[in-house]
Amino acid sequence: MWAKTVTGNFAKVIHGLNANQLTDQVIQRSKRMILDTLGVGLLGTSTEVCHKVAQYSKIYSSDLSSTIWGHLDFRLPPLYAAFVNGVAVHSMDFDDTWHPATHPSGAVLPALIALSEAFPQKKKISGLDLLLAFNVGIEVQGRLLHFSREARNIPRRFHPPAVVGTMGSAAACAKLLALDQLECKNALAIAASYAGAPLANAATQIKPLHVGNAAKHGLEAACLALQGLQGNKQILDMESGMGAFYTDYNPETLPTLQSYPWLLDQQDVAIKRFPAHLATHWVADAASSVRRKLMEGSESLLPLDKIEKVILKVPEVKYVNRPSPASEHEARHSFQFVACSALLDGSMSVQSFASENVHRPALRELLCKTQLEHPPDNTPSFDSLYCEVSATLRDGSTISDRCTTFYGHWRKPLKKEDLEKKFQSNALSILPAEAIKGIIETVYNLEKVEDCSVLSTFLSGQSARVLPEKLRFL
Amino acid sequence: MNSAQPQHTAGFHITTLPLLCAPEDTVTSSFASFIRAVRPEHLSPTVRQRSKRMILDSIGVGLVGSTTRVFDIALRYCREMYSSVAVSSVYGKPGVKLSPTLAAFTNGVATHSMDFDDTWHPATHPSGAILPALLAASQMLPSNTKPNGLDFLLAFNVGLEVQGRLMHFSTEAHDIPKRFHPPSVVGTLGSAAATAKLLSLSSAQCCHALGIAASLAGAPMANAATQAKPLHVGNATRLGLEAALLAGQGMEANPLILDDIPGCSGFSAFYSVYQPKPLSVPGEHHEFLLEKQDIAFKRFPAHLGMHWVVDAALSVRNLFINYAGSFSPSLIRTIMLKIPVSKYINRPFPSSEHQARHSFQFNACAALLDGEVGLGSFSESSIHRQELRELLDKVVVEHPEDNVANFDKMYGEVALLLHSGDILTGKCDTFYGHWRKPLSKESLLKKFRSNASHVLPEEKIEAIITMVDNLENLSDSSQLACSL
Repeated sequence: MWAKTVTGNFAKVIHGLNANQLTDQVIQRSKRMILDTLGVGLLGTSTEVCHKVAQYSKIYSSDLSSTIWGHLDFRLPPLYAAFVNGVAVHSMDFDDTWHPATHPSGAVLPALIALSEAFPQKKKISGLDLLLAFNVGIEVQGRLLHFSREARNIPRRFHPPAVVGTMGSAAACAKLLALDQLECKNALAIAASYAGAPLANAATQIKPLHVGNAAKHGLEAACLALQGLQGNKQILDMESGMGAFYTDYNPETLPTLQSYPWLLDQQDVAIKRFPAHLATHWVADAASSVRRKLMEGSESLLPLDKIEKVILKVPEVKYVNRPSPASEHEARHSFQFVACSALLDGSMSVQSFASENVHRPALRELLCKTQLEHPPDNTPSFDSLYCEVSATLRDGSTISDRCTTFYGHWRKPLKKEDLEKKFQSNALSILPAEAIKGIIETVYNLEKVEDCSVLSTFLSGQSARVLPEKLRFL
Repeated sequence: MNSAQPQHTAGFHITTLPLLCAPEDTVTSSFASFIRAVRPEHLSPTVRQRSKRMILDSIGVGLVGSTTRVFDIALRYCREMYSSVAVSSVYGKPGVKLSPTLAAFTNGVATHSMDFDDTWHPATHPSGAILPALLAASQMLPSNTKPNGLDFLLAFNVGLEVQGRLMHFSTEAHDIPKRFHPPSVVGTLGSAAATAKLLSLSSAQCCHALGIAASLAGAPMANAATQAKPLHVGNATRLGLEAALLAGQGMEANPLILDDIPGCSGFSAFYSVYQPKPLSVPGEHHEFLLEKQDIAFKRFPAHLGMHWVVDAALSVRNLFINYAGSFSPSLIRTIMLKIPVSKYINRPFPSSEHQARHSFQFNACAALLDGEVGLGSFSESSIHRQELRELLDKVVVEHPEDNVANFDKMYGEVALLLHSGDILTGKCDTFYGHWRKPLSKESLLKKFRSNASHVLPEEKIEAIITMVDNLENLSDSSQLACSL
């Protein structure tokens, strides 16, 4: 199918061009270009900027290395540990979401943890240092999102984690590295040149890399700033700076440090209960409720053939409107899929997106009966949207339910036990029980942890005997 | 914005940034201050509690995420790419090898470090975004599958062609850029395409390489004229290489990334006007853009726009010397520059080499003063010379309506308004090195030899010249990379 698209066509051409098609002129001109470029490059090796990046790049030939969460068998250089762990965090779209919309933690935490293990001069980083740097990274993201009205709604052009996430990671790493003010500025400036990924890659396998790259590139920007690299000191001020990512951009200075008003204080995050786009969480709650009503006749299976049609009243969000998703990534970005899944099973879980479930006939049948409607009062904003699910039965009756705030949303946050349950369930097949317990304890007492590398030790799944002695609190 | 020019006195090292207000009042500064100065004590209990919940959840989600396929691919990629065997060469450093993507990065930075690399129309720096990736990749491949010189040359041209075609998707691209720096937009995809070609990826994999690359593209213009600008080319070439490698590992992206997708931007995210067009599938013949539209090579290391004013300045300098017997700045009342409108290259008092390379005013005055502009013109001491500063003081800038900010149409005019009342003018429509007046083979070789001699001995220099000249006949193209 894609051969008929511009994209597919490009791919075809790239693949299909062969040397016979090079004309003499093209050969001659391109060889001139190659020669000139080599010369210019050779000369350029004597520049300061080049020295800095070469210095930086040599890090990868030393034995600096960081944990890959869930793996004891090998480690990676910090940049790539940040990348891989960042990808892991967003791989199932199971990570937190904020308002204005972005996935704040995945862009910051992997970078910080990786960095903390590979700190210059092997300096110890305390839990409090980590917690502070983490919050700096979150705060910077939130503040940047407030610079544009565009950011209040579900995005359409650039995927926010790739824009503000990169900046947040840079800020967080700059904080952990205790960069001076000028270096912090440069870290932000350098990070801006890595920011930005188009939304069209959401609902594809590449989306998780947006978060992985945000973490990695933010870390890189901070490291380059530490090496003395300089960028535009007004990167946040200029339209041709961060403003490039928005059509309306109005930056503002941060409040003074005196009793600093953190955005996280005023606006909590939403924690997902199942791994899919946030907007589908409203649909799931409404659909589960409709199912309960339908089952009042106490049958054990949903009376599928009694359902004539299902109507979903949702906001208009193109990339989550998929009537017939074919992959897990698409299923995670489909109002229709989640509604039908929740109707069939009563609730959503990690398993709902397994291949066998995505393709089961009962689901496909229900999908065919499902339609979307976009009421004009249903704005595409995570703060104000709602979802209504109506099942019309063959006898003409309609059962419906509307969800304005799902459980896990910032207006109805997960209780402590449920948050822990989610964590335990996720970590179960990857880490031993002691490590799971160790992580929970460490995080809950993070401010008192003397050496946050204990977190990395648990994350790598090290054996129980090693753990207690490492867990020392101040 | 306060555009008043700062005061200065003779002999002083001047701060030349036009002062908007005290630097600390910028938004950027406020962020930097915050990051630097915030302390744990500033964390409120709510913030602590909420953020710890986030940390816990994030870790759990990451752990379960390590069971996914996308994770497998990313991991396999990192393990392979970051094995302890560094295989790719770095320009000018015969003993040093880095992993391929980092070598590409470093070499890409080197290429654009002085703004001395080639420029095309529509505007971008095409070669620096693709050559380093190809060199690095050629050394990465096992010895029995090394691409030959012709394969290499073909891949290079694929990278060029893709960049050129992409730029034709938007009328915005015809003018000197304002929002995103083109090498970071089209260069990344060009590098992905070139590498995909060299690695002989399948059609589907080529498609995904482009999609993955799009998510790695785009850097704002504001970092031009700073030390970070070279990273745009370094990252374009490195991330394009990564995209191709990931695609080769099976990573998949949006197969419609170049198409127009209303309501959900793909590559169109980087432009406000976007009309993609398909490439004709090559039959026996393919018309490469390079056939119709040649490249400009720079004669000195500065932004392309500077080359017009320099040639105009040199021409009026000659007139002036004929008129006055020698170059006597005291006779000049005003230096009038007629240039197109482009904020990032209009700098009355540049204070760093990066700014100087992006300043019409500086380049005009350096040409007037010295009779030529070269590498040395951008050194610290040269930039801050008293005589030069005095000349800069006399500069006035005009933006005639007919002088469009477009490398195909712009011109540079330098007029000396003398105290005597006389006016001498020099104008340049097409500088030597522009595609309409390409550098001769001798001039190009001279530039190469001069550049390379800073880091390589003569034999190596001549060897590279010979190798590139006979590229189609090279049996193992990784030799080119090894010779650097």
